[in-house]
Amino acid sequence: MASEFQLNGTQVSVSVAPDTPLLYVLRNELKLTGPRLGCGMAQCGACAVLLDGREIRSCVTPVAAVIGKHVTTVEGLPALWAARQNGNHKSVPTALHPVQQAWIDEQVPQCGYCQSGMMIAAVELLDRIPDPTVAQIKDAFTNTPPSPHLCRCGTYVAIIDAVRRAAAIMKT
Amino acid sequence: MNTLKLTRRGFVGGCGALFVSVALADQRSATGPNRLASWLEIRDDNTVVVRTGRTETGTGMSGYYIQAIAEELSVRPEAVSLIMGDTDRTPDGGYSAGFVYGMSNVRKVAAYTYQALLGLAAQELVVPIDALTVLNGVVSGGGRSLTYGQLVRGKHLDLTIPVTGQPARTDPTKWVGISSLEGYSVAGDPPLKPMSQFKIIGKSFPIPGIPDKVTARTRWSCDVRLPGMLHARMVRPQTLGASLVSIGEIDVQQFPTARVVKQGNLVAVVSPDEWEASRAALAVSADARWSDWSGLPGSDNLTRTLREYPWGKPSSKGSAAEVAKAMRSASRILSGSYEQPYVRHAPIGPYVAAADVRGRTRATVWTHSAQSQGLRARLATILDIPVENVVVRWLDHSGQYGRTTLGGDGAEADAAILSKLTGRPVRVQWTLQEDLAWSTASPGWVSDIQAALDGSGHLTAIRSTYYSPHMFDPRPLGALLAGAPCLTSKPGGFIATEWPYDRISNRFEEAHGMPNLGADSPSGGLRGNILRTPGQRQQNFVLESMINEAAAAAQVDPIQYRLRHTTQPRMIHVLQATAKAAGWESRPSPRAGARALGTQPVVGHGVCAIMRQNAYWVGIAEITVVPATGAVTVTRFTIGVDCGKIINPRQLDRCMKSGVVMGLSEALKEEVTFDTRKVTSTDWSRYKILTMAETPEIEVVQISRDDCGFGGGSEAANAVAPGAVAAAFFDATGIQAHRIPLTATYVTRLLRAAS
Repeated sequence: MASEFQLNGTQVSVSVAPDTPLLYVLRNELKLTGPRLGCGMAQCGACAVLLDGREIRSCVTPVAAVIGKHVTTVEGLPALWAARQNGNHKSVPTALHPVQQAWIDEQVPQCGYCQSGMMIAAVELLDRIPDPTVAQIKDAFTNTPPSPHLCRCGTYVAIIDAVRRAAAIMKT
Repeated sequence: MNTLKLTRRGFVGGCGALFVSVALADQRSATGPNRLASWLEIRDDNTVVVRTGRTETGTGMSGYYIQAIAEELSVRPEAVSLIMGDTDRTPDGGYSAGFVYGMSNVRKVAAYTYQALLGLAAQELVVPIDALTVLNGVVSGGGRSLTYGQLVRGKHLDLTIPVTGQPARTDPTKWVGISSLEGYSVAGDPPLKPMSQFKIIGKSFPIPGIPDKVTARTRWSCDVRLPGMLHARMVRPQTLGASLVSIGEIDVQQFPTARVVKQGNLVAVVSPDEWEASRAALAVSADARWSDWSGLPGSDNLTRTLREYPWGKPSSKGSAAEVAKAMRSASRILSGSYEQPYVRHAPIGPYVAAADVRGRTRATVWTHSAQSQGLRARLATILDIPVENVVVRWLDHSGQYGRTTLGGDGAEADAAILSKLTGRPVRVQWTLQEDLAWSTASPGWVSDIQAALDGSGHLTAIRSTYYSPHMFDPRPLGALLAGAPCLTSKPGGFIATEWPYDRISNRFEEAHGMPNLGADSPSGGLRGNILRTPGQRQQNFVLESMINEAAAAAQVDPIQYRLRHTTQPRMIHVLQATAKAAGWESRPSPRAGARALGTQPVVGHGVCAIMRQNAYWVGIAEITVVPATGAVTVTRFTIGVDCGKIINPRQLDRCMKSGVVMGLSEALKEEVTFDTRKVTSTDWSRYKILTMAETPEIEVVQISRDDCGFGGGSEAANAVAPGAVAAAFFDATGIQAHRIPLTATYVTRLLRAAS
């Protein structure tokens, strides 16, 4: 059965069992490697993607649940930013999303395994709260359901620095 | 001057390069047809390619290596690229356990190459070597300049570097069953650039892999997809010690392309479709029958089990007689016992590996192991094929924090055995539950310590004894369950402390070892393994906790007390600088108003120091405790280090802060739980690690020196956190914690018992 949805601004169609987790579809069928398997039970955030602009955990989301909707992975963040800048979904990205640039400038990733999910969470946070305080950042990355975003290397301080840097870029 | 001779293999058309290779005195010619991959190449486009068996583990090694190489060669770091960890493309092997282990090699390789390039330039420019200057890969002399690329253009030049050591091989007579885990070491003494002239080391060069990680261009070990590949999910035994009785059939209606593969107790479901493999494995697991086993003591009984174990002869360090003598003449003797449950590495990404075993005689394995050559040797033995026929390819993955440093633990043996059985390439993805239940862990321990104080409150002697199950058992689970040959070390006591307190005259340490809990089971039981700052993290916690107890007994500020017991200038400097940055209020602990009761929070501060790998660390924790609820919150942490010459201040800052997070996680939360049959802390709700909300403000103090070489600049950051938090807990409550983690359950029990 074909499942159709928008992926990073492009219409895609996959023929898989409808209960297949979106994560498996993204990685194995659509060859995107930004979202990664962490826990497989929505407890860590390594697989996070945006669904119509809101973070979901792709490891527990069946592909059937995203039919007809917009999925954005870390690969689609430059286009998301270009669209926001130009108000045009067909914009060709010329730069990284400010969150990605801040992640590079603040040298956030250590092993980097969790960081796609962290950047997705940051993009969603900055969409809701354009200039978050440290307390709001901590709250968003810890208390937003379904679980905290976990980093075992311990990059939380760098992530806070990067979110604030991205917020400053996005304001201008 | 110790320089080597360049050899020319004549001219080649169009391009050229200088190849720097390994020269082994007792082996085939390094320039012969079977020569190893070159270590370093100077190419005619002015780029430098370096190949090393060591890998990036998330600490920034790939950046530090490039900085060290660029410094010695006098090239821009952007000109240098690294190939890491692939056994067929890198010559040297070795641990990926920190910069200090591999830095000497890459510096010397670059230094030898630099001397060869100078010699070449002197000939070309017809000036003496002494008259040459080099800047950013451009050699100048006699009014002319040449780039390194111009020097090698049109030529094929060979330089061989003298090394000692052997490739890693399985060897039952060696520690953990592998010889030469350290790989090759560069011999000789090429002239190295003095630290005072460094232009690149000491600068915050960006770590090279980060942009690709941020833009999803990195190819991770979990991304490997091979033609004809099967996805595998493992069906693990019902308990840690069970043997397979029977395995059910796959429901072909439901799972048409899945099938069961097994060897001994190693059971997997394979399918070309990953989701089908995942679902079918759950179904097969539900129907599988395993023998009964209940050979674990249960984590609640761990301390009692360790106390009751008939320990044999310990390892020891120091003079028992001198310490006993000092104890006899002491004014006061303090005694303490400390303990910690099992904790584990717990990466965010579970183990994953892919293997392609061809014709049962050749194997290629894709891994994220931090010890490619050791893993290769182990896999050759497991598969019973010559080591030369095994290739290990390394890719980035989730941090491992030591569990793959000895070249074992992981999914590679699963994948290799399944590929051999199926004749197809196989990718094995462990689940989180599987990883938290079946990977190796850092064993729990108990320790007793006594300290002797003289009449003035000065420490005259410290005696400590450490008891722990096996901490060096990296045998891969897949090989154990399949009954394939694999080797480990003998369980033994490991003394890991270094000693910064030279004014404490007498120190005697003992460490006891015992086999894994459940060691006689087919899986090897709860396999113990090294975890970041291994052994020393635990033993230093005990030592520093006792120093804090002694300071309190002497009614002296704990930082002042440490200063009184050392003459080591680096220790003194980092203690003072960190105290200053923290705004440390000098006074004895516990604080006035310390409380073990009540619903109102009480605050405290505490300090912990460690000396490791030519580095001195100090951590200062500020915490609040709510006695009634047992809630411990770390509000601020200051960490200081003197690790000799700092290579990359920005990345060191990142590693110090993240190391504190890992240490606080251990101090406050981490505990592997198990019943008598199996591990029960098998998801993130039961194996809890620190979250962002629990991360305090972290201040960093860095002291860089040009006169003490390089030290370990990342690893021990985690080790100062638990001791500092425990000291702050005592400062706040007046009650000494004798166990980590300081969970609400433990803290309320402790405080109620005390009051």
